[in-house]
Amino acid sequence: MEHPGTFWGVIAWMIVWGVAGSVAIRRRYLQHDLDTSNTTFVGAMLGAATGPVGLVPLWLKTPELTNRLIVLPAIGAVVLVAAAFAFADPDSNCVANGSFVASQITNGIIIGIIYGFMALGLTLIFSILGVVSFSHGEFYMVGGMLTYYVTVVWLPGINPLLGIACACAVVFVLGALFERMFLTPMYQGRIDRPVEYGILITFGLAFTLQYFVQAIVGSNPVKTRRYFDFPRVRLPSPEDPWLVKTSRGNLELFDTISISNPRLTAAVACVAVLGALLYFLHRTWTGKALRAVSQDREAAAIAGIDPSRMNMLAFALGAMIAALAGALLVQAFSWLPQVGNIPAMRSFVIVVLGGLGSLPGAFVGGILVGLVEAAGTGCIPDPQKAASYIPAYGMVVLTLTLLLRPTGLFGRRYASGAHGKF
Amino acid sequence: MIHLAVSNVHKRFGGLHALKGVTFEVNGPELIGLIGPNGAGKTTLTNVLDGAIKPNTGTVYLNGQRIDQLHPYEVAIAGLGRTFQVTRSFRRMSVLENLYVPALATRRAADRKAIHAKAMEVLEFLTLGHLRNEYAQALSGGQQKLLELGRLLMLDPGIVILDEPFAGVHPRLMEIIYAYIRRVNEEGKAIILISHQMDSIFSLSQRLLVLNFGGLIADGPPDEVKRDPAVIEAYLGTEEEPEGDAGARDDATDEDNPTHR
Amino acid sequence: MRRRVPHLLGLALLAFFLAFPFVYSANDYPYVMHIMITSFFYAILASSWSMLAGYAGQFSFGHIGFMGVGAYTAALFSHYFWLSPVPTELCTEYRFGETWLVVVNPIGVTSTTLTQDCLRQAMEMWGDAVQPTRMPVWIGILLGTLMGGVFGFLIGVLVLRLRAAYLALFTLGFAEILKATISAEIEITRGQAGMELPALFESGVTLFGHTFDKTDKLPPYFVMFGLLLVCLAILAWLAGSKFGLFVRALREDQDAAAALGVNTTRYKVLVFVVTTMMAASAGAVQAHYVGIVTPNNLFLLQMSLVVAMAVIGGVESFIAAAIGAVLIEVALEMLRNSFVIGGVEIDMTIWRLVFFGIVLMLTLRFARNGLIAPLIGYFTRGHVARETVEHRLHPRAEEAAAK
Repeated sequence: MEHPGTFWGVIAWMIVWGVAGSVAIRRRYLQHDLDTSNTTFVGAMLGAATGPVGLVPLWLKTPELTNRLIVLPAIGAVVLVAAAFAFADPDSNCVANGSFVASQITNGIIIGIIYGFMALGLTLIFSILGVVSFSHGEFYMVGGMLTYYVTVVWLPGINPLLGIACACAVVFVLGALFERMFLTPMYQGRIDRPVEYGILITFGLAFTLQYFVQAIVGSNPVKTRRYFDFPRVRLPSPEDPWLVKTSRGNLELFDTISISNPRLTAAVACVAVLGALLYFLHRTWTGKALRAVSQDREAAAIAGIDPSRMNMLAFALGAMIAALAGALLVQAFSWLPQVGNIPAMRSFVIVVLGGLGSLPGAFVGGILVGLVEAAGTGCIPDPQKAASYIPAYGMVVLTLTLLLRPTGLFGRRYASGAHGKF
Repeated sequence: MIHLAVSNVHKRFGGLHALKGVTFEVNGPELIGLIGPNGAGKTTLTNVLDGAIKPNTGTVYLNGQRIDQLHPYEVAIAGLGRTFQVTRSFRRMSVLENLYVPALATRRAADRKAIHAKAMEVLEFLTLGHLRNEYAQALSGGQQKLLELGRLLMLDPGIVILDEPFAGVHPRLMEIIYAYIRRVNEEGKAIILISHQMDSIFSLSQRLLVLNFGGLIADGPPDEVKRDPAVIEAYLGTEEEPEGDAGARDDATDEDNPTHR
Repeated sequence: MRRRVPHLLGLALLAFFLAFPFVYSANDYPYVMHIMITSFFYAILASSWSMLAGYAGQFSFGHIGFMGVGAYTAALFSHYFWLSPVPTELCTEYRFGETWLVVVNPIGVTSTTLTQDCLRQAMEMWGDAVQPTRMPVWIGILLGTLMGGVFGFLIGVLVLRLRAAYLALFTLGFAEILKATISAEIEITRGQAGMELPALFESGVTLFGHTFDKTDKLPPYFVMFGLLLVCLAILAWLAGSKFGLFVRALREDQDAAAALGVNTTRYKVLVFVVTTMMAASAGAVQAHYVGIVTPNNLFLLQMSLVVAMAVIGGVESFIAAAIGAVLIEVALEMLRNSFVIGGVEIDMTIWRLVFFGIVLMLTLRFARNGLIAPLIGYFTRGHVARETVEHRLHPRAEEAAAK
């Protein structure tokens, strides 16, 4: 970085005004007896983006915080950080190299879709059982590991789709069994602090599963070959394929953006399964019953839905979603028994960012986290450092979310019950 | 001499105007009943007095000290105690420990021995003596209510707000609560009693406050209030409604959901 | 009489651990001693975590992070601060009487090994004529403890509004950020290579008329055991005082506790500060004992171990958590031996953790207060049930007595 002083100076300036704004604006709105649910966020963002220039009018006028007032300062703050970075480090790859930036953004979105899909499972479990599952990463790991074993070790040459289906089925059953054996006492009011119990028991499962798999398969990284080869496409013409050019394992758009095959197929599969899931949740009786339970457990029970069975279904389904994400990514990353730790954390970040319990929030949150990680890995000058910081990017997002807008992007406020309280 | 002065307290929640300029005073060891239909603002008023909610405008003075901007614990130490509509005992602490908490928190506390002696006396009074070492969660709903009252005796505030003390309580325990109210009153403390059980309220209180739609519509001796046309229209006009049941039903639904406020 | 049993057992345990290093004399003495020291280390973490999670209800998953704060503060301190009788004239240095406090500027650092710094350059010039000395170890440990408290205070303030799942996620996030930062900032922390620390007693120590080498296990055994006893004493004092009552009250019902005059904010932050300081001090001492800290010490596995030890012992009793930690650490070490069944080698270094996880889940499911806490409870609270039963059998007598 050429001018680190400038960059950190701008960041410090933004932090100072952000903190000042978040505190002052909230106080002001509280005094004026106005809705304060967005004040911390808007105050912080406006302070960070404009400093006193924007804060003073907001403080004086206290207008209603419309969506525009919420979104614009946030964008402004992001743009300001980007500008400061560009100014401080004009030669960096992620400033000077347009095609690198485009590639980074596209890949960020693609990986973000997969992240979001995995987080969807977590948020589904949360919205119905009220449990934050700490074993989500291990279901992801088991899904990938089983797919590897089915398609490579046990039945080589089998259609990978069968392997994936097999992994999903096994994890579905595993999730259902675990729910029956360990989570049922939670709903019967036999546990004093159900939220903590849920965290600890899934934590125990994560621990057990991780070492169980390590004991059985050892700790050598494994990987399947890619499930599907791209057909050879040259557009608009074979001589000058500036629009689309594919090789078996890669896709190149506009001569600049390069997307690897496993990631793209995984993302496409995720979108397809997401569609199926939405259909299931909104069009089938069972799906509607699930959503009903997530909204009001007692009322659903009165309407003839057995909440206990819905709990089992939701947990199994959530676990299966994680397993599917793992099964789709085992062709892209090398697989270890510990591979689930970082995705699990990332899923937590995404569901908190999107709003615990919100399905669209999980998806949008996933894409945002994908972009943040792409920016982080692409822009930090020292690549070794950038790699070491990968787990931290998401956690910074988490910290900011919890401080500025604990309900997340699409979170609903939980009026009662220990589950959603924070 | 206890003196509580509530003047012109307003509280809005977004569009809902929960309290509209409530003004009243408590002078000395009065026994005041606070009634009003559901949603009249009784609980909001309690929360404002207790410090859990800050009023938008208006002031609350307790013995000359302004308490409306204080944290609930400061209000409690200043001398205003309250119970909750839904019992909130410390479930995984023993009955005695439940009583020690407020006694140690006030900092007026003498030595441990004195606190223990007082706690035992309070427990005997509430007929919970034999349960002193049991966890509070082992107690029945009515006994937990008594325990909550006992905690207030240990806090020893100058003014006590009892939110629905009779809801869902067995008649035999009701006698104890009556005795409790008389005792607290005789100790020279003011009591604000919130209840839906009209007969209890009318027989116990010396003065009635009636809330409706966030405003105080009547303030006076029970007999006068009973005849007040505004009160009859707003509240007692629906006398046919089964008394007390409303409270009991609330209690039942809330029990499944211990954190519900 | 029965209520005395735990006290007597506690005294017996104390005597056992005090006598153990003198009585035990098998060949694997250093190994066994090492396990004991490690188990005391975990006992400090587990018991302080049980105060935080079990008493105060703050399920923090960042405890191991605070341990790391202590360890790394001690490591950085011993790494960058030296005393020299002669000024180096290369480093930043401050004069105190006849000695100079040298702050070692890292120049010429490569990614994994620290090849050159200003002090080494100075030492090369001096030859053997001048020997700079390290700062006393205990100052580093003290600083580590304080730094743990500072971090605990900050995190405690930040999580004031967060409950349950959010708190767990936030604290987990803190530990992860810390780990990532330490791994990434290689110029300062040397990243994955880790930082070396001097031993607790670098130049040996004389105890009971016997001089112990810096590799001898007996002095660190008593240092760690002493630290454990100090922590347990502080915890016992806190649990027995109004602090213990108040944090339990705010675990049960924060609003009700506030309405009864408990300053919930203060006690919530205070419990964070106290327990994180304990974790940090344990981390600092352990770092000096082991001689190296790496970011891997902050792995989630370590946190899992602490949580599991506390839960299996009994999260609502810090004594039970400490005993659980010692027992589990010893058990885990005893299960290390791999064996062969029917031609298949069972790698117990991994399988023991699987069994451990299963025990954790079963304990949570079927014995929510852990396995050791109910034993203590049997002696200390056993009379409660008897009293109540007696009351049920003779209600009239009780009531008459009451009146």
